Amino acid sequence: MEKYRANLLMCAGTGCVASGTPKVRDALKAELEKRGLADEIKIVLTGCNGFCAEGPVMLVYPEEIFYQKLTVEDIPTLVEEHFLKGRPYEKLMFKDVEKKHAIPLMNDIPFFKHQVLRVLRNKGLIDPDSLDEYIARDGYLAAAKALKEMTPQDIIKTIKDSGLRGRGGAGFPTGLKWEFASKSQADQKYMLCNGDEGDPGAFMDRSVMESDPHSVIEGMIIGAKAIGASKGVIYVRAEYPLAVQRLQRAIDMCNESGLLGENILDSGFTFDLEIYLGAGAFVCGEETALMRSIEGQRGMPRPRPPFPAHKGLWDKPSVLNNVETLAQIAPTILNGAEWYRALGTEKSAGTKVFAITGDIKNVGLVEVPMGIPLRTIIYDIGGGINKKKKKFKSVQMGGPSGGCIPEQLLDIPVTYEDVVKTGAIMGSGGMVVMDEDTCMVSTAKFFLEFTADESCGKCTPCRVGTKVMLDMLTDITEGRGKDGDIETLEDLSRDIIGTSLCGLGQTAPNPVLSTIRYFRHEYESHIKDHWCQAGICSKLCSFHIVEELCKGCGACLRGCPQQAVVGEKKKPHRIIQELCIQCRTCYDACKFGSIEIKPAIRQEKTALAAKDEGGK
Amino acid sequence: MADDVKILVVDDEPIIIRSCETVLKSEGFNVEGVLGGKEAILRMEQTSYDLVFTDLKMPEVDGITLIRWIKQKRPDTGIVIITGYPSQDTIKDALEVGIIDYVPKPFTPAVLLDVTQRAVEWIRRKAPVEKKEKEGEFPPSMLQEIDRVITQYKNKPGSSIPVLQRCQQIVGYLPPEIQKHIAKGLNLTPAQVHSVVSFYSFFTMKPRGDHNIRICLGTACYVKRVEESLNKIKEELKIDVGDVTQDKKFSLETVRCLGACGLAPVMVIDEETYGAVNPKKVMEIIEGYA
Amino acid sequence: MARLTLDDLKKIKEKQKSTFTLREGGYRAKITVHMGTCGIAAGARDIMTALMDEISLGKVEDVITTTSGCAGLCAREPMVTVEIMNKPPVKYGDLTDAKIREIFKEHIMGGTPVDKYALVIGSETTY
Repeated sequence: MEKYRANLLMCAGTGCVASGTPKVRDALKAELEKRGLADEIKIVLTGCNGFCAEGPVMLVYPEEIFYQKLTVEDIPTLVEEHFLKGRPYEKLMFKDVEKKHAIPLMNDIPFFKHQVLRVLRNKGLIDPDSLDEYIARDGYLAAAKALKEMTPQDIIKTIKDSGLRGRGGAGFPTGLKWEFASKSQADQKYMLCNGDEGDPGAFMDRSVMESDPHSVIEGMIIGAKAIGASKGVIYVRAEYPLAVQRLQRAIDMCNESGLLGENILDSGFTFDLEIYLGAGAFVCGEETALMRSIEGQRGMPRPRPPFPAHKGLWDKPSVLNNVETLAQIAPTILNGAEWYRALGTEKSAGTKVFAITGDIKNVGLVEVPMGIPLRTIIYDIGGGINKKKKKFKSVQMGGPSGGCIPEQLLDIPVTYEDVVKTGAIMGSGGMVVMDEDTCMVSTAKFFLEFTADESCGKCTPCRVGTKVMLDMLTDITEGRGKDGDIETLEDLSRDIIGTSLCGLGQTAPNPVLSTIRYFRHEYESHIKDHWCQAGICSKLCSFHIVEELCKGCGACLRGCPQQAVVGEKKKPHRIIQELCIQCRTCYDACKFGSIEIKPAIRQEKTALAAKDEGGK
Repeated sequence: MADDVKILVVDDEPIIIRSCETVLKSEGFNVEGVLGGKEAILRMEQTSYDLVFTDLKMPEVDGITLIRWIKQKRPDTGIVIITGYPSQDTIKDALEVGIIDYVPKPFTPAVLLDVTQRAVEWIRRKAPVEKKEKEGEFPPSMLQEIDRVITQYKNKPGSSIPVLQRCQQIVGYLPPEIQKHIAKGLNLTPAQVHSVVSFYSFFTMKPRGDHNIRICLGTACYVKRVEESLNKIKEELKIDVGDVTQDKKFSLETVRCLGACGLAPVMVIDEETYGAVNPKKVMEIIEGYA
Repeated sequence: MARLTLDDLKKIKEKQKSTFTLREGGYRAKITVHMGTCGIAAGARDIMTALMDEISLGKVEDVITTTSGCAGLCAREPMVTVEIMNKPPVKYGDLTDAKIREIFKEHIMGGTPVDKYALVIGSETTY
């Protein structure tokens, strides 16, 4: 909202349209033009916000003043008072509704209130298998505009000016990518879509492909025109059968109705699109690897340059964009670069979709303007930790290439730059929230298991290095950690980052580095004290009942698979350590927090084992 | 009866070849001899043999190399080794690459004949059984279906992955014979096809159970401790990840994020997704399929 | 389907807009069942079946059911959105067979939203 002094959000929901929004909008527009305010104040039509009985309604940003029951006659006074003299027009201002709604309104619920839907503009609104319903929501109007009224240079300029950056991970400016490919000379070029959403914990691309497949196709048509491609491929993970099915149906419909194929919308432009099913390899999210995979080979990355914009698929100039990026294209072409930039920050323009999961209340998919504090996403939208008594520990962003952000950094604005400063990355927008019962060493190990398994094996530092780091982490979580291990992990990380060819290797150590950076004490306590304070590493903890807190309810006793808990009803229970296998069942069962996690009981166990052997 | 058995003797000592020829020819076997591994390979590229007798220690191409070559290129040929060093280790090595028997040097005609006859019996017993199994495993209709897929994609560049996906749907898995068949159809080498099969986790060379259980190991599922459910399944079904239960009912696989993180932890059986599972719930669901 | 032109796009848009407002479609109410992977796994198909069942049992002709993608709030799946002509849409979550049948009777047929199951009223800001 930098360019406009004010934004007027007019409700264009069913109720308000019926009670006169279009007329009021026209009157308002005319009045603003008459007073020379059209460049300063923008009118935006929005969906219904529930105040239908008071319609037409309008919300003025940034003041958040709410006007209701607008009429054409009121408009001149309203504009003069509020926008010229700066005095909100009280007569039309919202007064507390006498009767409170039993059901909360969108604006009452933080989950909905903070969201602004662009990528997800059709989420839950249209039938993904209906082309007509997509068209009803301005579908393919942007494609028509791009194909009939714009030159490739116009399109590229709009996208460049919008500041849109690739939503797949690295955040490379989309317009620039298109410009490079557009300037390459070749008899054949390719427009590709990366639907190989590999980051575990991110699922926005699946959701977009499933609920709004046409938005991706439309983005690709516009991109194809910009770079001069006549062929396109959407590369989708085999794990997303519903997405594949819906995309295929959407492509078929477009072929039948001339939105794909030859002479699209009588513009003379030709674009053929097909789906290519991935076969399960995380590295195929990397662009050169993905292209190798489409060529029917092992998906292994190759050095860049040459960049795909010059030599990509089948050695022809190619552009690969992520699903979420492509879904932003159509509205940007339709509304212009300024509209796009109105949200977000200077360098991170627009909105970003995040998948919030893990130990959080409102698990889901949210779209917010970039630059809002991370805390707002986690606590307001996400609703905080899902278990009452548990504390927040960290939020993992960027998947296996990202890092864990601790509590003290939650006030950072969510932009590409600020997230990178924490040691995590924006990535594709997965946010996995972890509460205090999470062991950060095990978490780092989890990601290393992933990358060690998914490393394609081309570069030794990545192939062997991740394995060595994984072995060290396994040792630490099983009580074989040594002094100096942390430093060795850091050294190895630097080497792997510095010497790997592609993004997978260059970022694989990030989860380890970021957990060492913020949770070094956990590593130390694992190594020195043999203590996993979260009680996750079973060899490094022991469970004890605090007598003062135990109510003797027997929940732990009933759950214990080893019959290691003893005690009479309503009297404090006790855990027989020799029988305990550290399965945590009692810890999770106890409602009173009376189970305490202490370091592993090593000496006693050894003594017991010695006695055992002696006995034999 | 013995004259339809073709035997190749490989040894760098001409005397051994001669004595083998004398002994075996008198019993009606069809015998030829060569003086080294290299010649043996050249000869075998021209004609096929039922049995190969080979020394282990030979200059240039030695016995073990030759055996490996035979195993790969002429898997139907039976191998017997002739060795002057019947130490446990060399025999063990040779057995590991798959020989039928061995003849210690020096040997008497009786020993040689005895070993030869047993080897001949062994290959005769084995050959028809193996052929029958192969035919039984892939009914002609299945192969026809595969050929149809190959024809459909044949002229499309880069189609190996879609072809393999479709064929895996048809057969259920991708054993070496099917890979070879596909390679031939697409004009690729078996190695090219295998390199793709072994790279992508979607492809499997082992048959799956009637019901395929997939456990999501994505981050959200990890945070929600999906491992406990996975361990429970392993324990109850007595299988490891990648294996099939003895009754062939279930196979167990893990997968990197199904993108249904909102329901974590997630388990998929065949095409059905189950959310918010725990050790108790997974077993209840699996029992529903038993 | 015939090849589309720009004019066709505009026509379809206008026509659909009016169907969206339910009036010209001849429908009084529209129920959208959110059926993404999450929704289906959480039981959206059962919800759809229950709705179809209620519609055919009551021989209801002025109510349309449709499917759509994920509603974003995975934690509350299965979800539906109920829209009655000239009223703001209401989203329901954590549904079961029994709950959706109750919503059908009270809200869709009776016109009174079922507060205890409703999550939110209105649509999200698309901007």
